[in-house]
Amino acid sequence: MSGSSPVRSMARSPFVLVVGVVLTWFIAAFLVWPNIHVLMATFFPDGSFSGRAAEKLFSSQRAMKALGNSFLLAVALSITVNVVGIFIVLVTHYFRIRGSRILFLGYATTFIYGGIVLAAGYKFIYGDKGIVTSLLLQVFPGMDPAWFSGFFAVLLVMTFATTTNHMLFVANALKGVDYQTIEAAKNLGASTWTILRRIVLPMLKPTLFAVTILSFLTGLGALSAPQVLGGRDFQTITPMILTFTNSPTSRDLAALLAVILGVATMLMLAVMSRLERGGTYFSVSKVSSELQKQDIRNPVANIAVHAVAYLLFAVYTLPVVLIVLYSFADGAAIQTGQLTWGSLTLDNYVRVLTQPAGLRPFVVSVAYSALAALIAVGGLLFVARLLQKYRNWVASLFEYLLHIPWILPSALLALGLIISYDHPNPMVGGAVLTGTTVILLIAFVTVKIPFTLRMLKASFAAVNSSLEEAAAMMGARTLYVFRRILLPLVLPAAAAITALNFNSLLDDYDTAIFLAHPLFQPLGLVIKANTDGAEGTDGVANTFVYTVLLMVITGVTMYLVYGRSRRSGNRKRLPAAPAAGGASAAGVLAESSAPAGSSGSAAEEGVLPGPARRP
Amino acid sequence: MRKLQSLVAAAVAATLLAGCGGGNPSPGESGAASSAPGAGSADTLVVYTNSNGEGRGDWVTKKAGEAGFNIEIVGAGGADATNKLIAEKNNPIADVAFGLNNMYFSQVKAEDVLEPYKPAWAGDVDTSLADGETYWPLVKQAILLGYNSDKFSKDTGPQDWTDLWTKDEFKARYERVTGLGTATAQLVFAGILTRYRDDSGDLGISDEGWKQVEQYFQNGSPAVAKTDLFARIASGEVDMGQMPSSIIAEREKSFKVNVDTATPSVGVPLAVEQIALVKGTKKKEQAQNFIDWFGSAEVQGEFAKQFNSMPVNKGAQAQANPEVVDFFADLKQQDIDWDFVQENMGAWVEKIELEYMT
Repeated sequence: MSGSSPVRSMARSPFVLVVGVVLTWFIAAFLVWPNIHVLMATFFPDGSFSGRAAEKLFSSQRAMKALGNSFLLAVALSITVNVVGIFIVLVTHYFRIRGSRILFLGYATTFIYGGIVLAAGYKFIYGDKGIVTSLLLQVFPGMDPAWFSGFFAVLLVMTFATTTNHMLFVANALKGVDYQTIEAAKNLGASTWTILRRIVLPMLKPTLFAVTILSFLTGLGALSAPQVLGGRDFQTITPMILTFTNSPTSRDLAALLAVILGVATMLMLAVMSRLERGGTYFSVSKVSSELQKQDIRNPVANIAVHAVAYLLFAVYTLPVVLIVLYSFADGAAIQTGQLTWGSLTLDNYVRVLTQPAGLRPFVVSVAYSALAALIAVGGLLFVARLLQKYRNWVASLFEYLLHIPWILPSALLALGLIISYDHPNPMVGGAVLTGTTVILLIAFVTVKIPFTLRMLKASFAAVNSSLEEAAAMMGARTLYVFRRILLPLVLPAAAAITALNFNSLLDDYDTAIFLAHPLFQPLGLVIKANTDGAEGTDGVANTFVYTVLLMVITGVTMYLVYGRSRRSGNRKRLPAAPAAGGASAAGVLAESSAPAGSSGSAAEEGVLPGPARRP
Repeated sequence: MRKLQSLVAAAVAATLLAGCGGGNPSPGESGAASSAPGAGSADTLVVYTNSNGEGRGDWVTKKAGEAGFNIEIVGAGGADATNKLIAEKNNPIADVAFGLNNMYFSQVKAEDVLEPYKPAWAGDVDTSLADGETYWPLVKQAILLGYNSDKFSKDTGPQDWTDLWTKDEFKARYERVTGLGTATAQLVFAGILTRYRDDSGDLGISDEGWKQVEQYFQNGSPAVAKTDLFARIASGEVDMGQMPSSIIAEREKSFKVNVDTATPSVGVPLAVEQIALVKGTKKKEQAQNFIDWFGSAEVQGEFAKQFNSMPVNKGAQAQANPEVVDFFADLKQQDIDWDFVQENMGAWVEKIELEYMT
């Protein structure tokens, strides 16, 4: 089952063949062809290649410094997000901590918001006019009011903003850890720390590898946090990529930068895949039992962990509270940081919700996002399963090809689709796709493929293969095994991925601006129209209102998905299947499911041509 | 077994096809949607604009409806709308585009995306503000250097952009841009760089000209994301910066600051918003009628009244805010060779982004 299976054995399974044919067509038509098309048009404008882009970029001090900063942030984030993420997962799911449910809700706030508003939220607290800064200034009058800026501030904010994947997927994987192993270790005298290090963490590895790649990507693609908090010394490369993407004569520079970031991502992916290979990430005991919360036996350590947990709780929740408050203030107050109780009104909400377009953009966005999220997860369930099961060069090739959307900014992906399908094209049965409602859906699905695939593959890796083998030996067919054994086990993760995809697409701007049908314009375009331009007063207030409205939608979505997956997860749960836990989340994110310079959301950028939802 | 396999095939195919072929993502009225390119129901005009914010799009849609035009506004920033028009040139979706300035429209025209059309009101506008062939002027916007008039008087304030980095009292007191993606920023640089035109210089600009750009970035206070220049003036962080004329009155009120603007001896750059017919439209006659209607003195006058803009149409100026009309009457327009600017702007932006921005 595991290990490397030769290509020949793959070709014998009709299931594999069917999935393979459909997949090949999809990859060729929507991932390879449009992107090669747009890259050719970019790098070989007159049919001949010029080294112009590379020459320009490498001689630019600013570009090199920004590129370096992006890489520095990516590496640092891969570490810090893991540290904080694992800590909050352990605090809420592994150790017995007082009030862990409240803590969970606090940590889960990152699920429902992100982007420039999140960065602004932190600035309200730690910025030069912020609440904490004012308090600190009373204690230390000599300190620099602008202390919260630069690399340190960006790293801190982005770390706390991007632990969502840990809370969803690592927590889920933790529930699959077999408690009997832990008890056995305890009986043998192992300490809390040893058990954690030698038993618990190793079982979480596939998921940790997957979320580490996502943290790395988030760092590489950082946009809003550096813009708001980076100051002069810590600016990243994404704003430059976005500016150049929008300028036809400089698009080759944007493409080259994107390719550099993309190659780095692929290298990271290769390293992680190598690390992941060959491990056994499921319980091998015959009868596994559910995890129980552990006491921290050392009293000093116990107090320390409680203290840190509640401090983090405060760090996580304060910005959300302020953002909700400020969404009721007028735009001038938001920008000058002066909030008084008397100045809070409902005007902002009335203005946004009584537009003639009304709820229509919300409905269009919800429909598009839901369809795209379901198609991506539904289709990739089969693919991820096969890629996880068969490990040979064909599978690897497919896997890497499916990551193409991580390489290019979404504006370029959209342009590729336009220039490939604005005339009858045999790839899609001679149809013209531009100007139809379908083309945006295709783009939405493709953009979400890499994230979906990574997370699904990680959850398949945590499934005990002996279950499958037993079923197969008793005569179950491939599809039966898939439907009755594997699917229930990965369903919680699949539901969480669907919800995350849904939420991150809700306010997409970068793709929609090029591909949306004029009569079915999604929310992102409306948000942009209401928040854009010279920033003004209403524009900024509208940004906050839309953020809060999106928080509500994403919160409700996650609640619905969570409730459902938990119920079905419990019902279908097999006695010997330790990995089936409920997806343990009550909120949603949009963070870090996107690559460098891609996946935009309109709510956050005013001036920049192509926004992206990242802190 | 066989049956099961064909079922799998069907299921997989259906899933993917739902995504790639038949997906009809909008509940309700989806029928017409996924049909022909060119989009929309037969009589809906698709109008691209970057001038839809602050309720303008809704206003135009409503007024057009009253006049018998069924239009659908597609809003996008100036650069996005330009790129979209160019990308779609083989199978255009828009019928009309308006709001983009002369710089963007000359870019669109160079890609052969526009259809020549002479509107009924062509005689009422100053054709030197457009190309006199494909795109026609609607609204004038001045790109100004504004400063806090509570701190500086007409005499002590900056007289021209170059004062910002040559006079010590303005250094670090002016806001400078952190990106050149916006039309306003590009026009500011068009205004500065074209003064130093030198065909033997780099990208047509003398070394002296590039030195100005370098100084501009070295001495300014970088703009802060999501914080308006007026908010920074109000809090005393900076005292001056770039601003398009149409926003000043409203921002002064919102942020409770007073702003005056510099009047350089060379004049100030004007951004002129235009309207044009898109080549390949399937509703040519209707689109032409819409252009005739929208640019007419009556409609432009109402628009100016509603949004405090400066109409180009002479017949519309009577309805516009008299203060605005007076301001433009006294304003000296900077003489800029727009063909030269259009040809080089992409390269200038690239050079500035790569070499001078810090």
